[in-house]
Amino acid sequence: MRKAIGQGLDGAKRSFYWACDHKIRVVVLALVLVLLAPQPVKTQFIDPCCAIMGAGLSSISSTLSNVIGGGLSGILSIERNIFDFERDIVWPQRLIDEAKGLVGSIQGIYAQIESVTQIAVNSATLASTQQLEQNILSRDSAQIGQTGGHYTAVYGPVPGATSAPVEVRNVIDITDAVAQAAMKRAIQIDHLATLELEAAERINRSIQRAAPGSAPIIEAQAAAWLIRANAYTQAAIADLMRVRAIDLAGAAAEVKSGATYNSALGQQLIDLLKRQ
Amino acid sequence: MTIAFFLLFSWLMVTAKTRRQLVALTLVGTIAATLVAPPPAQAQGTLTGAIQAVLDVINGTIQTALDSLNAVRGAVRAFYQSVIWPVNLINQARAQVTPMIGQYRQRMRDIFESDVGSATLAATGQLEAVMRNKQTSDFNAVTTYFRNAFGPIPADTAASPEDRAMTDMDDALALGSLKTLKASDAAVDLTLDAADQLEDVASEAAPGSAPFLTAAAVVASIQSQALTQKMLAAELRQEAARLAHGNAERKRLTTNTNRLGDQIINLLKRN
Repeated sequence: MRKAIGQGLDGAKRSFYWACDHKIRVVVLALVLVLLAPQPVKTQFIDPCCAIMGAGLSSISSTLSNVIGGGLSGILSIERNIFDFERDIVWPQRLIDEAKGLVGSIQGIYAQIESVTQIAVNSATLASTQQLEQNILSRDSAQIGQTGGHYTAVYGPVPGATSAPVEVRNVIDITDAVAQAAMKRAIQIDHLATLELEAAERINRSIQRAAPGSAPIIEAQAAAWLIRANAYTQAAIADLMRVRAIDLAGAAAEVKSGATYNSALGQQLIDLLKRQ
Repeated sequence: MTIAFFLLFSWLMVTAKTRRQLVALTLVGTIAATLVAPPPAQAQGTLTGAIQAVLDVINGTIQTALDSLNAVRGAVRAFYQSVIWPVNLINQARAQVTPMIGQYRQRMRDIFESDVGSATLAATGQLEAVMRNKQTSDFNAVTTYFRNAFGPIPADTAASPEDRAMTDMDDALALGSLKTLKASDAAVDLTLDAADQLEDVASEAAPGSAPFLTAAAVVASIQSQALTQKMLAAELRQEAARLAHGNAERKRLTTNTNRLGDQIINLLKRN
């Protein structure tokens, strides 16, 4: 033990003498040690910097709570108010469901109507008239090609060139043409009406699946279909008017030809009497 | 790392042989120690300024933005509630439906359903009743009563084939129209039911549910238009048949006139 203490004291003496001999080296080493030594930790309680930071953070927190928190609370309140208003007044789920339910109910009514319109109304009893009737009640525009043949079988052909004067043949031909065209148009309109009912049913199904925001789009489509349906109705009315116009013109043509024949007959009677 | 550097530096300082080595080590060590040394503490004035800057941002830019946002959302709410969907006008629109239902619905129904039957004889009374009863299950009765009132198709010994064909076609299309009208009368009642249902629901609709009702109403209009077209098609067939009938008589008149002319010529030739 004593030996160790003695060696330690000798080492210390040698170090001291070395330090005395190398003062510059010791100063440099001390300087580097000071530079490298860790900085002392500042206490939270007595360091003024921490107190300022604490006060600053507290001020920031308070400002965040008042300014940002208050502002956000105001916005949240308004947003909640708008949400409640839209949910309860503008788009109440119960009334939306009720409206969708009504669409289903109305679709049921029109399904009934469609089944009523499908009931056969044919009534002809003779072979030729049954064929014509079946054709014009077919609701199938592909059968329009056969209408002319069935029509002629019932109402007869246009007289030959040797059987009637050209004026009479013209009146007969245009009258047959308009009557046949009206029957063909009736087939087309029946077919179109059936397709419109089909489309209406599809649109109704879309409405039942729609949202309040998409329903107006479907409504726009339905409005387009309504415009189309109006156009077809107008076409049917136009053909009806043509039929009546030709009927009127035919009646006038008969009066005209009657006048011509009366005049010719009168002249022939006068000639006959003169001869006698 | 710092300790290792210091030990190495100390060993080099102790073992340096020449003054030049010592100076070089001193320079290198001091520079290295300066670079490795912890950064100096910030001045207290800079920290206060930073906190104040944050507070200024919060009180200035952020507060202004939040105030503006609040004002805009408030304006949107006011716009919704007083211009687009004012509750008083929504309630007023709903309230208008019910009195109108009370004022018009039954009155119009009564007008529409008042009896317009006018036949005086038994046979025609039956036909009139059956063709106006809005039923679609008694089409055979329509045919029977029609024949009672307008007579059957002549037997083949009693009329020419042309006359039989034309009368059969005329009767068939007239009967077809009467049956179509019975179906459309039934459809009219159902259409009126649909309109009533739409109006009932409209009385408690919301702005968000009304588009469903209007879309359904437009679709119902398409369906009504289709039914109108079916009626028009029946009328077209009927009018076309009437025109064709008149034309067929014209054809026959032409044939008969030709025959008569031939017969007169033959008669004159014989004399």
